[in-house]
Amino acid sequence: MNTEDLITKLSADVPKVRRHAVGWRLAIGLLLGALVASAAVVSMLGIRPDLHVAMRGFAFWIKWTYTISLSAVALAVTAQLARPDSGSVRWVWLLAVPVTLLAGAGVIELVRTPPAKWLAMWLGHSWMVCPWIVLGLAMPIFIGLLWSFRRLAPTRLRAAGAAAGLSAGAFAATVYCVHCPEVSAIFVLTWYSLGILLAASLGALLGPRLLRW
Amino acid sequence: MKANEDELRQLMISGLDGNAADHAALLRHLVPLLRGFYRRRANGSEDDIEDLVQETLIAVHTRRASYDRDRLFTAWLFAVARYKMIDHLRRNRRLQPIEGLEEILIVEGFEDASGARLDVDDLLETLPVKQARMIRATRIEGMSVAEAATADGIGESDVKISVHRGLKTLMARFQGGGR
Repeated sequence: MNTEDLITKLSADVPKVRRHAVGWRLAIGLLLGALVASAAVVSMLGIRPDLHVAMRGFAFWIKWTYTISLSAVALAVTAQLARPDSGSVRWVWLLAVPVTLLAGAGVIELVRTPPAKWLAMWLGHSWMVCPWIVLGLAMPIFIGLLWSFRRLAPTRLRAAGAAAGLSAGAFAATVYCVHCPEVSAIFVLTWYSLGILLAASLGALLGPRLLRW
Repeated sequence: MKANEDELRQLMISGLDGNAADHAALLRHLVPLLRGFYRRRANGSEDDIEDLVQETLIAVHTRRASYDRDRLFTAWLFAVARYKMIDHLRRNRRLQPIEGLEEILIVEGFEDASGARLDVDDLLETLPVKQARMIRATRIEGMSVAEAATADGIGESDVKISVHRGLKTLMARFQGGGR
């Protein structure tokens, strides 16, 4: 096709783009995916029956603070990597803050618990399934983010894939909190984080293939 | 007429606000810019260059949401253009025989190496003859200090001192010139 014809064709459809379009688009993709993940939790796993009671407790909010702050940082990094001229990626180091705080909470918890109960506290009732459920719930969210990326322009595809996977994993963990009855900080630190890391690794693996444009 | 950053950015922002005429004007301004960019970097046929230009125009159009109005437009544009070029190379390399690529790499490597050699010759030219000869013998041709001493009929310590003084002079000149 002639370049002039191409320009005429492209200019026939010029929709408005609002400010902060990158952030909006990522947020929409994330929330659409989270909607599917929530539906899966409600229909297949069920909301924990004591959610109202738990939401007044400290343990529940430690979990949510951890997963929500991880999601927020991961999403900020994803937004940077969604631009072609991303340069050096700031904010990544912020991921260490929630991890360190949760580890601190874990240490306090261990000190207060007799060593004989440590293993039970660490493994909880669901350590074998928890990372896999987080990974599974991350899938629809990751797909939502892939949709977001269709109008965005990442140039470092592996890093962008990893950041999207991390966001999806952390948000999936946030959704999973409404089902998961585990209370210990070291449980969350290990098994939630493992699920989130699996999602990030899968994103890094698939990024170069799925995010090409 | 070549458009500058401010003009292009104004057109881009106006296009983002929904002004189709400005968006078309922007794309038209980009055509010569992109042709120049790819001609300088990708040594393909004119058809290849035009393909790349068109692919980039499509990307600028479909991915324009990724432009941040507060940043440089040209930085964004050339980041897109560079990505498209790398993607293009990656796709075409699979179809090309690998020998062609190797030849290009070797030729480029030779050019670099001969360029560096010329630089070294120029620099050594500025030193006293003996210092230059000793540096050449021990640091470039790879002789040992003893070999260089025997070859020139001078003492080993003489060789070491010549090399040391010569390098020191060069180093001082580099640091002085760098400032």
